[in-house]
Amino acid sequence: MATNGKTSRDRVLDLFNGERQHPTPVFSGMGNVTVHGIYPQGWRFAEIHTDAEKMARAAASTSQLFGFECAVAPFDMGVEAGALGCEINYYTHSTQEILYPTVQRKLAATVDEFKVEIPMDLETSGRVPLVLDAIRQLKAEVGDTVAIGGWVLGPFTLAGQLIELDNLLKMSFKKTAVVSAILDQLSGFLVQLAKLYRAAGVDYITVREMGASSSVISPRLFKTLILPVLQSFFAALEPPRVLHICGTVVDILELMPEAGAEAISIDHKNDAADAVRRVGDKVLVFGNLDAYNVLVNGTPDLIRENVTAILDAGVDAIWPGCDIWPTVSQENMKVLMETVRTYR
Amino acid sequence: MATTEQRDAIIEELKQGVIEFDEDQVKAAAQRVLADGMDAYDAIMNGLSAGMSRVGELFAANEYFVPEVLMCADALYAGLDILRPHVKPGTTAGIKGEVVIGTVEGDIHDIGKNLVKLMFEIAGFTVHDLGRDVPLEKFVEESIRTESDMVCLSAMMTTTMISMPKIIELLRKKNPNIKVMVGGAPVSDDLAKRWGADGYAADAANALSEAINMIDTLRDLKPIG
Repeated sequence: MATNGKTSRDRVLDLFNGERQHPTPVFSGMGNVTVHGIYPQGWRFAEIHTDAEKMARAAASTSQLFGFECAVAPFDMGVEAGALGCEINYYTHSTQEILYPTVQRKLAATVDEFKVEIPMDLETSGRVPLVLDAIRQLKAEVGDTVAIGGWVLGPFTLAGQLIELDNLLKMSFKKTAVVSAILDQLSGFLVQLAKLYRAAGVDYITVREMGASSSVISPRLFKTLILPVLQSFFAALEPPRVLHICGTVVDILELMPEAGAEAISIDHKNDAADAVRRVGDKVLVFGNLDAYNVLVNGTPDLIRENVTAILDAGVDAIWPGCDIWPTVSQENMKVLMETVRTYR
Repeated sequence: MATTEQRDAIIEELKQGVIEFDEDQVKAAAQRVLADGMDAYDAIMNGLSAGMSRVGELFAANEYFVPEVLMCADALYAGLDILRPHVKPGTTAGIKGEVVIGTVEGDIHDIGKNLVKLMFEIAGFTVHDLGRDVPLEKFVEESIRTESDMVCLSAMMTTTMISMPKIIELLRKKNPNIKVMVGGAPVSDDLAKRWGADGYAADAANALSEAINMIDTLRDLKPIG
């Protein structure tokens, strides 16, 4: 979406610099690839995670097809764990059409057993070189006009990929110091990874710390265990930066801007107007379109109604609250873009 | 033999031990149940299980979160391990049934599923736990192999719950009478109904109460025989 001579990339970067944009930008820090950008190429969903060219072209397609104002790679949550030695399942032989890669085997059953060596040569670990290649290709293909987004898991969410979650959660309560040390180590690793993404051409970095919402842990634990790690993480990264936490954040909303990112992203389980009212003067607020029940399953009328309500709430950008589910219809994507473009 | 007052005190200790995730207190109280010749099933249902119901309420009220609930479940298991071998055959309130449970393919989160499983175990069901990341066909195969009455499907992520309607369809084709319960963060009551599921659980707290509701439904279906 080019407006007033500005490219969509200009609009997104200006937004991060604090200039409110009209129309409100519609983009994401998370996966937004659709089958409409994959299937016409003759590719299966499982292929786009392990081939740099396919990843780049799939990532570019949502902006090319619908005017969505970003291109984001990678798509799955296994890059970090894979770089640290976890085996990843790509479901290449599954009978199901779309499954995101997952961690096949965790590194440790308990926080006490957990030990990980952060690779010295991160650029060559796991799929990191592949993702970096994809980002470079993406930058070359659309990077002049479309903002390139990259994302990493938050330290706590990554810990949950590496250690049995049941134990991690209990020990967060019982052995907070042990868990805190693990999070510090993982945070250092994630900073390195995010810096590599930036160097490859990413314009903004999103941190997805979904394990830290109040749907999982208490606001008290968020404040004492998670927030300090996020603060040091964001302090080590150049702007623009986004903190995304899906699930209920109503009780940690005031703490989220303290993490140090320019923007926060929330999902549909939260009230966008309330969020803008409470923290909109401290941080950009992105959200909070229901990426499945509304965008995929909703009628055009429901999408219009929801998107208009979110714009009325005063968000700085429309973001889906999660990855866009790839089977979203072309019509629904167009209704989303059109509703924002014509909003007065 | 324990007096009514003694029985009530021990039951209360079990219950509070679960609520306060105090494994030692639960173990000690469970030992007293046995030492005093109390009914183990009564202690499980009115002590441990009642405690867990209260935990569900605390979770729903945002006083407890997932770590706390998991610690309560550990305390419950500590008591269950001691008491269950002493439950007299035929005293499980007439409920007998077999349940297949698992997290759907593509999803490696199993905390919610494990809590629901726990509730079924307390109530005396035989639970066939398929674990996590379970291929669609496996649910059907296992439900047929075990002649189970119910299949419980769990998904933590939007990206994986999409397979639920397919599994339900496959299950119904093979056994039109099978009960299906779905749960997990992204699932909604509307979706569950649209997919033709019999039961739905939104989160850990709901999973606990819904599991109890589903047990009641089955109890209606399968009178004590």
